[in-house]
Amino acid sequence: MKRRKFLGLGVMAVAAMPAALSALSSIDFRATKPDTWTAHKVDEAIKALYGEIKAEESGVKVKAPKVASNGGAIPVTVKSDITAKSVAVFQDANPEATVCVFACDKDSIIDYMFKIKMKASGTITAIVEGEDGKFYKGSMTLEVAKGGCEG
Amino acid sequence: MGNMKIKAKLKGDVIGVKVMAKHDMLTYDQAKKKGKEANFITHITAKVGDRVVYDVSTSQFWSKNPQWKFKFKGASKGDMVAITWTDLSGKSVTESKKIK
Repeated sequence: MKRRKFLGLGVMAVAAMPAALSALSSIDFRATKPDTWTAHKVDEAIKALYGEIKAEESGVKVKAPKVASNGGAIPVTVKSDITAKSVAVFQDANPEATVCVFACDKDSIIDYMFKIKMKASGTITAIVEGEDGKFYKGSMTLEVAKGGCEG
Repeated sequence: MGNMKIKAKLKGDVIGVKVMAKHDMLTYDQAKKKGKEANFITHITAKVGDRVVYDVSTSQFWSKNPQWKFKFKGASKGDMVAITWTDLSGKSVTESKKIK
């Protein structure tokens, strides 16, 4: 009997959860920060997106294969436990630097996988804009055997 | 079949979503070579009901027929996840999948 009651409570808790979690606000970074997307260097792109910042090199993990045989589809995973407002990903091999910018909030789980194109070997950099106003950085340098931007 | 392949699975209290969309993702360089207009997905949003659970502004450097994964909390089995992408030409596609 007690067990049934407990289960019942559990179901209620689950049902009540969506209301307690905040909704992400959808931000179109292409419209709000247009200069970010045309910047050719990672530094310039970061400056265009966040302004003059100093990012701490901790708390952000970028995972990608050390040697990518096909530059046309490189799986990249960005992970962090930091409560973030946004996460931006850059690389320095392609003509422009910015790959994508995620909008996050306190309920977001920062564990994003996506496949990208890289023309040559280079470094992928991820910047996490923390809710505390600080910036955190993680990067990964990889070799690309066959460039993916020509196809 | 539609444009996207979506998988959404509940594990514990976290929903893992895996998506594959069909899109050429032509960069400016590639488009020039082919004599076409550059076109790529610029924005992707995932929603459960009215609540946005994933939101990303993307560039031409996501791969052709891009694949992506993400996780979120606060939905249960049977809820629908709706994924929407918009590309540079303004085309927009939305497809939904039930959470398993």
